[in-house]
Amino acid sequence: MSAISRLAIGALALSFALPAAAQTKIDFFFPVPVEGKLAREMTRLVKSYNESQKEVEVTAVYTGGYDDTKLKAQAAAKAGKPPAVVLMSANFNVDLKLSGDIQSLEPMLKADGTTRDAFLADFWPALHANAMVDGELYSVPFHNSTPLLYYNVDHFKEAGLDPAKPPRTWAELVDAAKKLTKRDGDKVERYGFTMPAGYDYLGWLMEALTLSNGGRYFNEEYGGEVYYDTASMLGAARFLEDLIFKHKVMAQGVVEAGGVSTSFFAGKASMMLLSTGSLSFIRENMKAPYEVAFVPKNVRNAVPIGGASLVMFNGQSEDSKKAGWKFIKWLSSADTLGGWSRFTGYFSPRKSAYDTAEMKAFIAKNPDTKVALEQLPYAKPWFATYQTVAVRKALEDEIQAMMNGKKKPDVALKDAQKKADELMRPYVEQTALKLPR
Amino acid sequence: MSLAGTTGILEGVDQEPVVVPRRRPWRRSYLPYALLAPSLLFLGLFTYLPVIRVIVESLYDHPHGTGAVAATFVGLGNYTKVLADPAFRQAALNNLVYALGTLIPTLALALAFALAVQRSSRFSAVLRTVFFFPSLVPLVAAASLFFFIFLPGIGLLDYYLAKIGVRGPNWLGDSDIALWSVIGLTVWKNAGYYMLFYIAGLQNIPRDTIEAALIDGANAWQRLRYVILPALLPTTSFVVVIALINLLTSVDHVIVLTRGGPSNATNLLLYYIFQAAHENFEVGKAAAATLLSVVVLLAISLASMRIMSRGSHHEA
Repeated sequence: MSAISRLAIGALALSFALPAAAQTKIDFFFPVPVEGKLAREMTRLVKSYNESQKEVEVTAVYTGGYDDTKLKAQAAAKAGKPPAVVLMSANFNVDLKLSGDIQSLEPMLKADGTTRDAFLADFWPALHANAMVDGELYSVPFHNSTPLLYYNVDHFKEAGLDPAKPPRTWAELVDAAKKLTKRDGDKVERYGFTMPAGYDYLGWLMEALTLSNGGRYFNEEYGGEVYYDTASMLGAARFLEDLIFKHKVMAQGVVEAGGVSTSFFAGKASMMLLSTGSLSFIRENMKAPYEVAFVPKNVRNAVPIGGASLVMFNGQSEDSKKAGWKFIKWLSSADTLGGWSRFTGYFSPRKSAYDTAEMKAFIAKNPDTKVALEQLPYAKPWFATYQTVAVRKALEDEIQAMMNGKKKPDVALKDAQKKADELMRPYVEQTALKLPR
Repeated sequence: MSLAGTTGILEGVDQEPVVVPRRRPWRRSYLPYALLAPSLLFLGLFTYLPVIRVIVESLYDHPHGTGAVAATFVGLGNYTKVLADPAFRQAALNNLVYALGTLIPTLALALAFALAVQRSSRFSAVLRTVFFFPSLVPLVAAASLFFFIFLPGIGLLDYYLAKIGVRGPNWLGDSDIALWSVIGLTVWKNAGYYMLFYIAGLQNIPRDTIEAALIDGANAWQRLRYVILPALLPTTSFVVVIALINLLTSVDHVIVLTRGGPSNATNLLLYYIFQAAHENFEVGKAAAATLLSVVVLLAISLASMRIMSRGSHHEA
């Protein structure tokens, strides 16, 4: 709040100081998924951009979490004042393109005399699919994450495990989790493994487990297909069920992300799956020594991407389109992305951001960042379909029922598939099943 | 109805000054409306227009992202879709359980608190503050507090349960228990507020009826059952209406704690409407669900008002 008012005062001062005629004013909506510190940093970035040049003046508007940002941007668009640039959760792009809210960035590439391939060449390959919808560029990646295995070093030593050798496969994970779980009769004093299973997080982690099991989760090229009722996801679901009910190394029912990190801090859980985006948060709050490792695999190493990208809303004047694109290019430059990455713990989507001396020094000082970075070549696109949220929830509701012992994995996945197919049917009928008469 | 009533009052006022010329009767009939115009304008813009828009939207379908630009008129199609949606039915059922499960203990506690602190003394003033305190905490803040109270294994609740050798369940993550945890939080939050109404109601009971009962040899329970409770009927029906409306219109704690999960176990109607409108691009369905819940609210309010007026006749 104070950051915004300070910014408003800054903007006011700026508008007196500079000739107003030559300037294009645009709005930039941004969410902050973790904490207020990031909002201040973003406000500082925008201020330094405004001071660095005279053609564009950006007003940064902090719009809450990812979901709120989508809501507010759409509400502003409906009210006739669409924001020029929005930092949007990367898997909303398909839906926003289909609802006509965001515009293709291809015309801007053309005006710059560049091609999509040339533009995307410096971005990690795993990010390309989420940046595009139906083969056209719709968003520019800004900060990204993958799931990561965090583990408590003291607990490992205490259980006779080598902290230098974290579990790399599902079998090793079960084995370690069994040794780490502390029981007192029927009661469990400490769980070997935990992961967030609230809405949003669970879908992402189910994608991680399915990918690690050789699966795909969704059709990366087409928004009307998900692969819930498949062997690879069935294996992932059964694995989760076994961790809870067979091996009893994970608590029954759903624990939200806040509960997962708190129990890790409190030493009540020894290993957890959590986003790399939480690295800074864990680093600051974890008292005991911890390490991070790749998400263990069953068939292959693979994790989904998460994070946010910059999009442009429809309904802009030519001037504000140009101004917005100019701002996007500055925000997604290697320097800005590198600085933001060091500040937040997210990845920089640009490979070249890691070539700078500052970045190399930072990684040498924070080796956990290095592990997260090494996992990146194994990353895959984040699921994004028609009705992304509802289609994801169709799976999550069923998996949550399974985690509460109410459903068996095979039934749960069949029901999830049925629900998801129903949700996507209007789109499928208008696209893949719409044939020439 | 209220408008006609107001006109009557204003007419009465209007007849007093003689300066009003009889030749201009329009002035008499239009002046009240002119005076009401500013509030009518705002009421119209921010209350009735949105209501009409919701009614209209509930009759149209805007298919998301299928290439269809214009909305198509579907009549009652959205209503049948909503009523057939298992998630809506579960939200409605959850809301019923939530409403009853919250209302009964809240009223009982509010009455018990009020009876305990109705006499003015320094001690009861302190107690009143203590009981009232939870209503001062915003619902979002209360929910954020309870997130940590409910944490399985390490939360405050489990910490104290462990002291007496009980291991608590996964309060918010077990689909059989989550709704009851939300109910518990709501009772904690609301009981102190409704206590205020009961204190006011108790102070309105004529002392002589209670004294008469005392002289007749009625014990404490008999006084409560046959004198105090009947006299509190209007208060109770008023509190019931207020509480029910509150229970249908606030879901802040659900958003903070569970977002309707696990498996929709804590999904309430208002949050279902939010999901349909803002997550799933289904405006028509959201509008239909809104109207359905408003109709239920209206029915409850009307029924309670009838009981309330009957109660006051009884008292007279």
